[in-house]
Amino acid sequence: MTTPVFLDVVDPWINWDWLSTHLPLFLTALQDHVTLTLIAVAGGLVISIPLGIGAHRWGVLRNPILTVSGILYTIPSLALFSLLVPYTGLSGLTAEIGLISYTVLILVRNILVGLEAVPRDVLDAADGMGYRPFRRLIAVELPLALPAIFAGLRIATVTTIGLVTVAALIGVGGLGQLILQGLVDNFHTPLVVATVLSIALAFVADLGIAGVQRLAVPWSRSG
Amino acid sequence: MNWKLRSAYLAASIAVAVAIGACGSTSTPAAKGNITIGGFAFSEGSVLAELYGQALQHDGYTVTFKLNLGSREVVAPAIKSGQIDMYVGYAATDLEFYNSGAGEASGDPIATTAKLNTHLQSLGLVALTPSNTVDQNAFAVTKATAAKYSLTKLSDLAPVASQFVLGAGPECKTRPFCLPGLQNTYGLHFKDFKTLDTDGPLTRAAFKNGSIQIGLVFSSDADLNQLGLVVLQDDKHLEAADNVVPILRQAVATDEAKTVLNSISSKLTTKDLVQMNSQVELLHQDADAVTLAWLQQHNFSS
Amino acid sequence: MSFLSKVIAWFADPANWQGSDGIPTRLVEHIELSAEAVAIGAVIALPIGIVLGHYGRFGNAAINLSNVGRAVPSFAILVVAFQAFGLGNLPIIVALTALAIPPMLTNSYVALNEVDPDIKEAARGMGYRDFAQLLRVELPQAVPLLMAGIRTSAVQVVATATLAAEIAGGGLGRFIVDGYAQQIYTEVFGGAVLVALLALATEVSLSGVQKLLVPRGLRLQKAPAAQRATTFKTA
Repeated sequence: MTTPVFLDVVDPWINWDWLSTHLPLFLTALQDHVTLTLIAVAGGLVISIPLGIGAHRWGVLRNPILTVSGILYTIPSLALFSLLVPYTGLSGLTAEIGLISYTVLILVRNILVGLEAVPRDVLDAADGMGYRPFRRLIAVELPLALPAIFAGLRIATVTTIGLVTVAALIGVGGLGQLILQGLVDNFHTPLVVATVLSIALAFVADLGIAGVQRLAVPWSRSG
Repeated sequence: MNWKLRSAYLAASIAVAVAIGACGSTSTPAAKGNITIGGFAFSEGSVLAELYGQALQHDGYTVTFKLNLGSREVVAPAIKSGQIDMYVGYAATDLEFYNSGAGEASGDPIATTAKLNTHLQSLGLVALTPSNTVDQNAFAVTKATAAKYSLTKLSDLAPVASQFVLGAGPECKTRPFCLPGLQNTYGLHFKDFKTLDTDGPLTRAAFKNGSIQIGLVFSSDADLNQLGLVVLQDDKHLEAADNVVPILRQAVATDEAKTVLNSISSKLTTKDLVQMNSQVELLHQDADAVTLAWLQQHNFSS
Repeated sequence: MSFLSKVIAWFADPANWQGSDGIPTRLVEHIELSAEAVAIGAVIALPIGIVLGHYGRFGNAAINLSNVGRAVPSFAILVVAFQAFGLGNLPIIVALTALAIPPMLTNSYVALNEVDPDIKEAARGMGYRDFAQLLRVELPQAVPLLMAGIRTSAVQVVATATLAAEIAGGGLGRFIVDGYAQQIYTEVFGGAVLVALLALATEVSLSGVQKLLVPRGLRLQKAPAAQRATTFKTA
């Protein structure tokens, strides 16, 4: 039997007719995807800022936090989601716990690196000017650590956008659902368009954050 | 433009917006209640869920669809726990699922459904009147394989089974109408079992590249001929009466709902189902559009 | 019986350790798929990255490749590969290799590009010619970042290979996917634990290899740049 390399499916890689009549599908998926990403990154930021500051302030916490976070980071996302499902169900909560874990790992590391990179003489100058430790943190160290934090935000956001597609395998919404539909229905169009949208979303988010960084931290290059 | 004109425009826009908003909301007749319908994770599952669900919608029920949930292993717990109120099942396979494979199903759909109800009763569920529409598990080989080994029925596999790899979804390993059935009823022991999907693109691709010689398909599949696959006859009647039958929670099984659903069951034929399947699977039309067309054809919608 | 004790029972059951569906078979499949993809990816990415980095060309492209690679959803790539190439290991290897290349290419470029120019000048002064300089002087300097790239790539590929089960691939992902389809959560959990352990083992062992390969002189320096290599994750 001749085995053609390409599957015997009549549809082109993008069926524009079908696409034009099914745009709402993609809009909903995009909305869900953006929401899930925002929650994960915002949640990650909220958790990792105190964690990062703590690890910096109390050196004894530094290595345990970095080691544990490094370990959790290597766990493949489908595995992490699957480990949570028996406890938190097939829900957005499960996905978010997993996603926030990963964003925390990225952000804590970057916050730490950022804080540690503040030059010693700047700290001395601040102390000399009478800054108390807390004020020094808020007014001097964190602002100087912003470039590293923004770098972490960009990586965390782009990474999360990719991982949300995997969450579709535990029934969560987003562009991953359309990828799954493309697989199950043997249909190219939802797969291709959802993939392109996911990549585009990642780029837009990355550039957006870089843009915000340029506004917020004008003295650093956003590279 | 001056402010008088501007405020006139503003007032007009608001009026138009309100009018559009008012027209957009349909004045619904007193809703008859909510029903959540679950669907299996293959295209026919969506077709059947949409078909029965839209019929209820046109009768005034508020229907929520939860499609592509998974196999019966996912759908059954969902209806037992009330996450869904209804799904469209298949009499024999459902019977053997709820009786833990006791082997009670037969070729008689009425008797099979009656037995099914004895098991559903205590779970707070009920199966309605089975339709004449049938979709059974079927085992297919490529036309070339059938010709090479002179295969027309499943019994013909006995001498060659040890050279064949069987492909199906993961649940096939434990379902009585699947691998265990082939082993016990036909005495077939295959070389290997390859976990693919339940009658989906993975199974078809496996046929294409020769990694399986025999695979599980559904008898109501629309694309078997086009793919060069031929179904082997079930001469020892392993597959029993897999007639389409809606299964509901008793709480939502009102007389009115039952009337609507049973009338769909009585009008639906296997040929219709295959036709709808082909539109969804081959032409990538939406299940809800296809079923709506059928309902309109059979005067079920206004 | 608590859920965790059921999972332990799953691991303890000898039936799960035999046959084409057993843990050892799936583990070997997973490692084979991953190793092939990383090896092929390395053969493609490392020479290109090293040469580009040595000559300092196409830097932006090389660095942005990492960003692009990170933005591509790995699950989607696997499905696209399946729809393009059909069933079997070919589409899986193609998709995994595509994902393996960006971290290695970017890191090898950066590694070579960031070699201290003073060292390069000193080598020149000592009479090293171009290729020998590359081999004997620059590459050893570049090893920490190179290895970090390979390590990142490998962990990334091991993670993505889990998803290959969605397109009928073998490997440890089978336990997760099949268990989920049949709602047997002990199998899902067992599979997830195995995958996590394999990913960790990959990370740890390659870190060990990296430590062995770094010349002693370099080991004494800190390599903060190595930290940024581990933040690549799409699966």
